[in-house]
Amino acid sequence: MIVLKSVLTFFVYAVVAIAAQNAVFSRALGVSRVVKMVDDGIVSLGKFTVMLAAVQLLSAPMAYFSGRLIQDLTWRGAVRPLIYVLCTSIAYFVILLALALLAQKTQIKDIKDYVALLPSATFNCCVLGALLLTTTSGYTLLETMGFALGSAVGYALAILVVNEGQRKIRNRNVPSTFRGLPITLIYIGIVALAIYGFTGHMPAI
Amino acid sequence: MNLERALYYKENMERLMRTERLFLNNPVLITGLGLAPIVVAATSLNNALILGLAVLLLLTPTRLLAAFLSRYSYMRFRGVVYTLSAALLYIPVYLIERAVFGVGLSMVGLYLPLLVVEPIIIKRYERPQLEPMGMALRKGIATTGGFLLALFLVATLREFLGAGSLFGHMLVKAAPFPLAGSTAGGFILVGLMAAFWRWLRNLFKKYVNMEAKREI
Repeated sequence: MIVLKSVLTFFVYAVVAIAAQNAVFSRALGVSRVVKMVDDGIVSLGKFTVMLAAVQLLSAPMAYFSGRLIQDLTWRGAVRPLIYVLCTSIAYFVILLALALLAQKTQIKDIKDYVALLPSATFNCCVLGALLLTTTSGYTLLETMGFALGSAVGYALAILVVNEGQRKIRNRNVPSTFRGLPITLIYIGIVALAIYGFTGHMPAI
Repeated sequence: MNLERALYYKENMERLMRTERLFLNNPVLITGLGLAPIVVAATSLNNALILGLAVLLLLTPTRLLAAFLSRYSYMRFRGVVYTLSAALLYIPVYLIERAVFGVGLSMVGLYLPLLVVEPIIIKRYERPQLEPMGMALRKGIATTGGFLLALFLVATLREFLGAGSLFGHMLVKAAPFPLAGSTAGGFILVGLMAAFWRWLRNLFKKYVNMEAKREI
């Protein structure tokens, strides 16, 4: 029963992070990168999502425990970003090492693509934003892990939705001044409005 | 516009479109950097002051420190250098902000600490060339100026439309467009402003061309 409850908690928080508290549509986390990725043409969303989820899942427990260590300090607000950036940097090096070992021991050709995508998946507002949200909201470790995974999947889903929208918007009927960044932002705004209509509330910033 | 200036703009338009950060290549409204704090947290001029001071104190020093440290690191680890530099410099910035604004800092929530990974501050790490210190200083100041201009324009518009006030002082009884205060409204408003900015930029280019031809 405890296991079932834990699994349920994990997935509830993951679903919340994917939909109602989507990093891009509800908090605009990492939206600059989404706009750039869509503008440049997404090379491999699947690989980016794998890297993002790996960074999120590795850094979330480190941030959870380090957040608990500094929670009584009066100047915790000043050092929190540094500690979380250190956590994501450790996750970055661990994944880089794992990829290097994989490249040595296997014949997978795509390793270089994963390595190239790793910095943009690590030093990202979505990653730090999820870590800050889970600690300031007082989530448990299980909830933190669920939210971290959900944030990564939700971010990838947002890229997919924006890219699909961009593909359909890209026609001659759109005035030239609106093409690119302006129409993409308006489109994201309309999707965000739809999510707001569905959930009925704005998440706290 | 006199002939000299018109010819200067005409001859250097391509370069200025890439390097001039205040109007022709504004980092927010043209390039799309720094969108998260502007779309979500810049709902009032008081919030804009908090974010503006933080970016003013963080962007150029981060760029300078990271440009210096990058000389001693591999290209692959440059992202770590830039984010750690920003996170280190965030400590004094936070203490200054806390002294100036006190509990008012909570109004911008997580968008203040998030500045340490915001692309407008750390995006330079993606380029393979090392950045000379002088250029880091010049570009840092120019990008800060462009960001502050966009931030205060958006915040003024959003506070007036979303709450009918400026700096908390009520100007009209009912908010003209309450949606402007929400995240969705922020996206739509910034999108419309970006389109207007591009229109102005195109108008300026046409005007420069016309003036140069007329004078010749």
